[in-house]
Amino acid sequence: MGAHDVVVVGAGNGGLTASLALAKKGLGVLLLERHNIPGGCATSFCRGRFEFEVALHQLSGVGTEQKPGPLRMLLGDLGVLDDLELVEMSDLYCFQLRDDFYIALEANRESAVAELQARFPHEREAIGKFFDLCYAFSSQFLGAFYFKDPEVTREKYPLVYAYSFKPAIEVLNEFFHDDVLKAVLSMYWGFLGLPPTRLSFAYLALLFFTYLEFKPFHIKGGSQALSNCLASKFLSNGGTIRFNCGAKRILVEDGAVSGVVTEDGEEIPTKYVISNTSPIATYLKLIGQEKVPASALTDMASRTLSPSAFVIYLGLDGTPEEVGIKRSSTFLAMDTDLTDRLLDRMRRLEIDDDMMMVSCYDIADPDFAPAGACQTSVVSLKYGDAWLRVPPTEYHRIKFECAEAMLRRLEKLAPRVRSHIEEIEVATPLTHMRYLQHPAGSIYGFEQYMKDSLFLRPDRASPIKGLHFASGWVGDPGFQPTLEAGQSVARTIIREIRTK
Amino acid sequence: MEKLVYEEFDGYDHVAEEREVALRRGVPFNAECDSAERYIDLLHPSRLKLRVADIIDETPTTKTLRLVSESLYLPPFLAGQYISLFVEIGAVRTGRPYSISSPPSQVGYYDITVKRVEGGLVSNYLLDDVKRGDLFESSGPAGHFYHNPLFHDPTMVFLGGGSGITPFMSMVREIVERGLKRTVHVFHGSRTLEDAIFHGELDRLSSRFDQIHYVPVIENPPGGYKGRVGLITGELLREELGSAAGKTFYICGPQAMYEFCEGELKKLGVPRRKVRRELYGPPANICEDPGWPRSVAPDASFTVRVNGKHEVKAPARQPLLVTLEQNGLVVPSLCRSGECSMCRVKVVSGKVYQPPWVPVRKSDGWWGYVHACVSYPLEPLDILM
Repeated sequence: MGAHDVVVVGAGNGGLTASLALAKKGLGVLLLERHNIPGGCATSFCRGRFEFEVALHQLSGVGTEQKPGPLRMLLGDLGVLDDLELVEMSDLYCFQLRDDFYIALEANRESAVAELQARFPHEREAIGKFFDLCYAFSSQFLGAFYFKDPEVTREKYPLVYAYSFKPAIEVLNEFFHDDVLKAVLSMYWGFLGLPPTRLSFAYLALLFFTYLEFKPFHIKGGSQALSNCLASKFLSNGGTIRFNCGAKRILVEDGAVSGVVTEDGEEIPTKYVISNTSPIATYLKLIGQEKVPASALTDMASRTLSPSAFVIYLGLDGTPEEVGIKRSSTFLAMDTDLTDRLLDRMRRLEIDDDMMMVSCYDIADPDFAPAGACQTSVVSLKYGDAWLRVPPTEYHRIKFECAEAMLRRLEKLAPRVRSHIEEIEVATPLTHMRYLQHPAGSIYGFEQYMKDSLFLRPDRASPIKGLHFASGWVGDPGFQPTLEAGQSVARTIIREIRTK
Repeated sequence: MEKLVYEEFDGYDHVAEEREVALRRGVPFNAECDSAERYIDLLHPSRLKLRVADIIDETPTTKTLRLVSESLYLPPFLAGQYISLFVEIGAVRTGRPYSISSPPSQVGYYDITVKRVEGGLVSNYLLDDVKRGDLFESSGPAGHFYHNPLFHDPTMVFLGGGSGITPFMSMVREIVERGLKRTVHVFHGSRTLEDAIFHGELDRLSSRFDQIHYVPVIENPPGGYKGRVGLITGELLREELGSAAGKTFYICGPQAMYEFCEGELKKLGVPRRKVRRELYGPPANICEDPGWPRSVAPDASFTVRVNGKHEVKAPARQPLLVTLEQNGLVVPSLCRSGECSMCRVKVVSGKVYQPPWVPVRKSDGWWGYVHACVSYPLEPLDILM
């Protein structure tokens, strides 16, 4: 195989949109994928007559045709919108505390606020003001940074100045007294992987804004449909994909990329590499740390690894109604603790009083599972370290014990669930390590502490000439950000090539 | 240097201080990078090197190969799982899944039990040519056919046909060796009594352990045979088991057996969720599949273009995967029964027949991806692998 303008390592969200955007501009792109299928996290698997979604819970930034969000526009730019069926979910989320409190919020600002106010009348005024703040902050933040105002000042963007480096919990404490209400409003911390004590308020505000304005979406066929669609579009634009063939080395000479060696030992000359794998593997394994500038290694070492996840996927021989699941997305909590103790829970091996998210795609998309059946997944965030200390011989036993504990928690929401199980699969942090090959099975890349997130996250460009990153490791985790990252890196490379 | 805009934000000083400390105190990830990989290799090695330590005659057409690890380590598995044994026969590199028949409690070796398939490339090779001391590569243990404590009943009913007894043997042996609180009913269908693999051991275990029940079902019994004869019918099951309630059924055997037994279980009112089926290779004769298009003759063959480069002649009745292997084109494979999706290839143009029971991701179907191990060409094809 000859030289390529760009070699992309990894066909995850970032690798796929980067490859497609470059191929559409007529560049010769080779996409290497270790696995036999594109998508990375954005994938699915089959058990029996069920197909399970692995990663996508609520696709953000889609919006409607009349009021398109940034992701709909991106998919339009890439020419894949017509090949995808995007399904709007009417639920924002539900929250169940033990079995004595349950609230369901619709993905609509007015009704969500009204429901919260009805359930927490003593916080009525504060609830309205809190959502006002989320919206006002988000529009200032997006004005300043998404639309790239060249002159950002405190006068124009006072909320950005006041709230970007404020932990979410401080804002919740300023507005509210009711612990249950605070818990209800903080649940999206699970999408970022750090408790509200550690997470910037910006994330909470932006998530509420994007999901209420542009609605949460699901994709027909799951996230694998998006991955397959992007890969096919890339092929029809002249791109080359090699499945079952990862990169073994990225060759660097005099501080610049000179080629890639594939797993089968073939050397492919190129001046540009986009890494859709972690900077850790990229620097330490693919390049070798002796060729990486010390500043990049120091920066990398200053960061920490996000949690992995423990997940059960259930194929059920009944409709959501029969099983007792009412909504698309439900958070389950056993208490209203929002302190750093949430970190300790994630470090523990056992599943016990962990926060859980239950997703049932069949609510919004009744075709997702076969007729008369449905599927659901339950996920808890867990750091991978504890699992690395499990003796291999005990692995299956512990996996089933944890899954059993999770199932018991699910029964609090859907008491009839167990008698309907037709298929079940369990994914532990070790499963994520196996399929993602991320250190510690991390699903969100580096952690989003305030010192590491927003403006302080790692750069998509590396100090090695020609090497770029496109993934959740160098930006925000999640579908919209990683899909955007790929497109943005493609633009940077096209600019670089053109100015030569 | 010009101050960056965010450095003016409230709270930045504190965050900058934290960042400063982290840059000074950070720990490189070299250890994390390897520890995950090393651990995964203990659970799910991509390749195992196995040496034949012993060959045990089971029946006139069946032998057990006892395989020990060259690295002295064998990954743990769940009783019922299989390994895919990779072989090179002549110029053909291929593989076959074999259930491990030894129990997980036996950590020194994996037994695989191989029954001769008439005209079978690999089974004949393993039975006739393999000697003690030969070295093989295999996959790590895989598969979803095992007792799942999350929702399976502690009373298990095994319906095995021919060499389909092998995963059940592992399960039975584990129950006995580990003293598990499970009850099993083994129904094993064999052509003749002489063909009944593990008959002696199952007979012995069932007379010694109350929770092991063994019912051989012989199709062509010798004269005066007093045991169960014919097929494993619903009636036979009802007589032996009483009620089917509170029991999980496991089926492993040839395609025809699934169709028959699943029908029988349905008659007994066993819900679908209580029936587990193990994969068992591609159908013996795909042209007899109800969905096979009559317009394509069984002896038809088509040209398949691979990656726009190679052209191979592909018989319609042979799985695409086998054709590719015969032409020296190796697609990664594992279960070779449609399930694991390892041999996923893209059909760019042309039509293949893939039986409707093959679990293919919906969007794979929309974008032309098929599982080559159970896909049969119906037209000239252009494929990407």
